[in-house]
Amino acid sequence: MNRRRVAITGLGLVSPYGGDLADFFRRLCAGESAVRHLLTDDAPRPLSMPFVSCPDFDPDAALGKPLASMMDRFAQLGMAAAFAAWDDASLARHAEGNTRDRWGCAWGTALGGTLAYEKGYRELWQKGRERLSPLAVVLGMNNAANAHISIQLGLGGVSMSHTVACASSSIAIGEAFRRVRSGEATIMVTGGSDVPQAYGVARAWEALRVLAPGDADSAPRACRPFSADRRGLVLGEGGAALVLEDWDHAVARGARIHGEIVGYGSSCDHSHLVKPDAAGQVRALRDTLDDAGLDSSDIDYVNAHGTATAEGDPVEIAALKTVFGDAAGRLAVSATKSMHGHLLGAAGAIEAIATVLALREQHLPPTAHLTELDPACAGVDHVTVARQQPLRAALSNSFAFGGSNAVLAFRAVAS
Amino acid sequence: MDCIGLIREFLKDRLGADPEAVVPGALLADLGVDSLMMLELMFEFEDHFGIKLASDLKTPGTVGELVELMDRLIAEQKS
Repeated sequence: MNRRRVAITGLGLVSPYGGDLADFFRRLCAGESAVRHLLTDDAPRPLSMPFVSCPDFDPDAALGKPLASMMDRFAQLGMAAAFAAWDDASLARHAEGNTRDRWGCAWGTALGGTLAYEKGYRELWQKGRERLSPLAVVLGMNNAANAHISIQLGLGGVSMSHTVACASSSIAIGEAFRRVRSGEATIMVTGGSDVPQAYGVARAWEALRVLAPGDADSAPRACRPFSADRRGLVLGEGGAALVLEDWDHAVARGARIHGEIVGYGSSCDHSHLVKPDAAGQVRALRDTLDDAGLDSSDIDYVNAHGTATAEGDPVEIAALKTVFGDAAGRLAVSATKSMHGHLLGAAGAIEAIATVLALREQHLPPTAHLTELDPACAGVDHVTVARQQPLRAALSNSFAFGGSNAVLAFRAVAS
Repeated sequence: MDCIGLIREFLKDRLGADPEAVVPGALLADLGVDSLMMLELMFEFEDHFGIKLASDLKTPGTVGELVELMDRLIAEQKS
């Protein structure tokens, strides 16, 4: 099979810290948490939980009011991230003619327009309205983000959304990668966005008893992956995007190449809806290495799924120990969710960005707040303080409820 | 607020359109009103004037035609 190399030429996100991409990575490396305490005025009981918001995000300013008013917040975050990645790739927003008919978009979102539908329910059931805005359908549809991205950037190829819980955007990135590698697409915009602050969604997560507790003082330290005193995950909103480009096309136009995406593997535990299984994760990890033509000894860093749940963290470390064997003790691992939270359908995308930046900068972001390691999570080289280190290739794990696993492999590019 | 006032306010809010450009002779399409936005405008009229618009209403082409249509329906349904 003819395989094209795939360059990553654009990275963009709506940062929970409010700054740009460089600022985002700098803060991750400083171990700075974006987690804050969320307190809403919802009835009958306000939401009160550690959460990651993007408070500085102004949709009207980022997108212009006419465009922003056609979108729910998940699509706004996605569009803003895609614009940022597109600009970062030095591509013109306006397409000339039909030159982009082989360019596409693959987007990840776990919740899609849930927030828009929830607003509709509030109108109907709380405010006694009898009807909804004619925009309700196009605001709420799960493919709204990729549809807007394709329209705004003139992408005439495939435009699709992937909903695979916490693996949504890793699967979107993987599927986009395959399209470029096979030559079907020249460029793919990919990534994910989600807004888990919908009242019904946040309450549902609370009911699962997997959310970390915290108040205004303790919220920044609420998410502690691999730590003996971890208490659960922290939800967050956000959007993150990558531009994947045919290598020769990128080189021909003199694009800056942040890194190379070289492998993608996926699997299903096929055993339990929420209890992860190391065997399923091992298959996804090994499939990814095979797909990339890499040996486990080529991998210098793993950005872990690491949500800080009691059950999930030790299983992931067990899977890594199985795949990396005796060398696992030297494998650098960190869970950046400790700082940017769990963005559900956007988690894989924001972590892919963190992984690509780690390779580009040869700098490892840490797992924050990891002072006392849970013995059940021991056996790898936990990065607790950022450090400079030669890095050749890295993996990013996303392991979803439902047992869907997705792993992405990236390689550093000599600058 | 009268009909043209509602259209001016809506288009200023949604598209940043200059209210002075919203005159009876202006084509709605030229002002940036597409089929989806037309539905929104009708929704606004229903809300604001408490009227009910039939789903098979013929789509007006100009601001003037829209105003005329709405004035007529408001008068009919209020009487």
